[in-house]
Amino acid sequence: MNNSKLVKLSVFCLVCLLVIFSLSSSFAQGSPAAEGRRLFYQGNSDYKEAKYEAAIDNYSKVLSLGVESGNLYYNLGNSYFKKGELGRAILNYEKALILTPNDSDLKSNYEYVLTLLNLGPQSFGNWPEKAANKLFQDVTVDFLTVLLSLIYILAFIALISSLFFAQAKMMIKVFLMILSVVFIVSFISLNSKVAYLNKGAVVVSKEALVKFEPQEEATIYFKLTEGSKVEVLENTENWFKIKRLDGKIGWIDKSNLGLILDLQK
Amino acid sequence: MVEMQDTRHKPHGTSLIPGIKTLVLSFGLVFCVLNSTHTCLAKNINFEATVDRNKIGLGQSLQLDLTFDGSQNMPIPELPAIEGFQARYLGPSTRMSIINGQASSSITYVYTLLPTKVGAFKIGPFRLEYNGNTYNSNSIEIEVLAEATQAQNQSSQETLPQAKDLNDRIYLTLQLKKNKVYLNEVVPITIKLYVNKLGVRDIQLPQFNHDGFSIGEFGMPRQYQEVIGGINYEVIEFENMIFGLRPGEFFLGPATIQCNLMVRRQANRQSASSFDDLFNSDVFDNFFGGYQAYPMNLKSANIPVTVLPLPVQDKPESFSGALGVFDFQASVNPQEVKVGDPLTLKAVISGQGNFNTVNLPNLSLGSDFKIYAPQVKQDKDAKTFEEVLIPLNVSLKEIPVMSFSFLNTQTGLYETITRGPFPINILKPDKAEELKITEAKLSTRALTKEEKLGRDIIYIKDSPGELSKKQEYLYKNKVFLGFQAIPLLFYLLITVVYARSRKLANDVKYARQLLAPRKAKAGILRAKGLLEKGNTGEFYDTLFEVLQEYLGNRFHLSSKGITISIIDEQLKSRNIPEEILVKLRSIFSECDMVRYAASQLTRENMQEALKNLEEAIDYLQRNRI
Repeated sequence: MNNSKLVKLSVFCLVCLLVIFSLSSSFAQGSPAAEGRRLFYQGNSDYKEAKYEAAIDNYSKVLSLGVESGNLYYNLGNSYFKKGELGRAILNYEKALILTPNDSDLKSNYEYVLTLLNLGPQSFGNWPEKAANKLFQDVTVDFLTVLLSLIYILAFIALISSLFFAQAKMMIKVFLMILSVVFIVSFISLNSKVAYLNKGAVVVSKEALVKFEPQEEATIYFKLTEGSKVEVLENTENWFKIKRLDGKIGWIDKSNLGLILDLQK
Repeated sequence: MVEMQDTRHKPHGTSLIPGIKTLVLSFGLVFCVLNSTHTCLAKNINFEATVDRNKIGLGQSLQLDLTFDGSQNMPIPELPAIEGFQARYLGPSTRMSIINGQASSSITYVYTLLPTKVGAFKIGPFRLEYNGNTYNSNSIEIEVLAEATQAQNQSSQETLPQAKDLNDRIYLTLQLKKNKVYLNEVVPITIKLYVNKLGVRDIQLPQFNHDGFSIGEFGMPRQYQEVIGGINYEVIEFENMIFGLRPGEFFLGPATIQCNLMVRRQANRQSASSFDDLFNSDVFDNFFGGYQAYPMNLKSANIPVTVLPLPVQDKPESFSGALGVFDFQASVNPQEVKVGDPLTLKAVISGQGNFNTVNLPNLSLGSDFKIYAPQVKQDKDAKTFEEVLIPLNVSLKEIPVMSFSFLNTQTGLYETITRGPFPINILKPDKAEELKITEAKLSTRALTKEEKLGRDIIYIKDSPGELSKKQEYLYKNKVFLGFQAIPLLFYLLITVVYARSRKLANDVKYARQLLAPRKAKAGILRAKGLLEKGNTGEFYDTLFEVLQEYLGNRFHLSSKGITISIIDEQLKSRNIPEEILVKLRSIFSECDMVRYAASQLTRENMQEALKNLEEAIDYLQRNRI
């Protein structure tokens, strides 16, 4: 088999790959939930009439249909804010930030509520994770996943190209090194975002007592204020084992926390 | 006699340590036997309640044992509310003995009872219903004395009486200076923990319900002694400030405090050995403190509070929200300046109230002065404003009056304090200074243009956006993840194909070996055709060519130079069976023969030669020779 045939075969396979992938993506989109839209607009009407309890009820019903969107969590956060439940407002803004991280209205409201709660920016992880997240703070988990996949495919294209274009080997090596750096940084950020998605939680009560043991009568270790972010390490029947941003670990009654990942999907 | 006793209190959910696990397995059989015995004797179970002593002082605790003799399978009895005591479950204790082959076992549920008042009390009988049987224990009479430490406190008891109820010996109060407050009026709130001759440790900061109010931070608590009704109390006082956020009727409190009450531990006198006696002795009790912590959650009563709206009647124009009882002083310094030189207006508002709502009184200076934003300093009892004014006009003679209005929270009336006018003498500036004033005027104008923006959340979104399936992310999508294998497989395929084509192009020996069977197959087909036609000469020529080419390619030799002697030499070194060599020699000799005596070779000879060639090639291919 000569080189030109191999190049043609490579191009054909890549085209097939892209077609299959785009088809699978379109299948994965799913159909928009008409009922969810109806409830959303009903929630908006309630909000406009200052019926925040009813608005929350309608927005929550949309979530119970098994669908979600950044705007839905945003409106839910606004409703909780108006109701005076700032912790739950923060929780819903956090959920919205995962889906629509570059929404300027959302960022503004989130920062404002944090200010009211006397809280600053709260971020988990070690310094490489924080640095990577800073670079990719405005992108979604899905975007990072696709980016990683594209880098991975590009790397193989570069490797295959190096077989046929010997004179461009040095250039391809440099390109592969750049790709590797972008891949590592993207992977760290994705890993950190997924970890937060699965383990992140927000204090929704005015004040939460964190104890040394998962028992009512256990000694209080420290207190958490409304809107504080924590990492959930363990989950028992009535208690969560949590880690604060400074690394302190304790047990907290479940009623005090709202999880980023809704367990009742 | 075999006797085993396990007096450890095992909390629920604790796993067995390995040593105990081994012990349990070793005696498993014995337990089975005993369990069957228990079942048989279920109706002979004796339920007994015992205490370690019948007379105790308030502030001490006693141990209550509920023992089921005859079985270890009895559940924990639900302890009813016992008058005069607070009960706390410590854990189970089991006991088993085999005497002369007779097994007996028991389980004891251990509680600590803390008396809450003085008097004689009867506890029990306790009752448990289990498996259709009802078990009733005996009752016990206990006397609770007022004295905690009996004789040694005799003298102190004579001088000061003691509270007879635990709730009188440790309690919490919530106090507010007044029950009717105005909106935003700051009122001190006091939470006091009273303790009479009890050891209390690990006192947490108090908490209280303050719906409708804003609260500050608790400072360091104050500790002092106070005599109430002739009883001397240690008082721990927490202070804070609150103010109402909206008008209405509210309840403040109840306040709660968590702490540990240190109760004197009672030595267990049941142990028979001297070893146990040693470690249960008072010496060790005293060394390790001899007390156990009893967690308490103290709760005060709540206080009804009315938050009044600010009165509308007689509200002065200069009122800007100040509430309390204030005094207002103002001064200007220096009183004589040149145009463009600064003078300072100092206003001090002192008194008691919510200083957060106190602002600098308005001053109508028009365009005759350049005014800078005031410097504000706030202390506990005063707020000071220092405002820099730059006169721009020589004709100015005074700074006009300033009025400060506030709602007097004691009288409920608005009051206004007026200070001024303040006489000033403005002098003409030097020429050079005039230029400076003009520059200053320009630069300060820019400062005053700063706009204060309001702050609130941005309104809701009109559209829900793209409603996608909840928590479905691409990184969890199995189809997507499956696709990630395709580029890798594709790369491997390309690499293998590329490597093969490169080898074929560069490695002649490999290429000849690879092509040898294909070419031989084509030659054999050609020979078969010639066989069918009966063309003996061409058939053997083709056969010879095929054999020469195949062997030449196979062993990377020149095809034209292949003779039977070379074949013998090449194949013998490769341990080819003699049978194959014979076949090859036969083909070569027939090919030679056809040149001289073609008529002697029959069709059968040709078929045999073709068959021999196929078998020889097949053998060499299969055995990769």
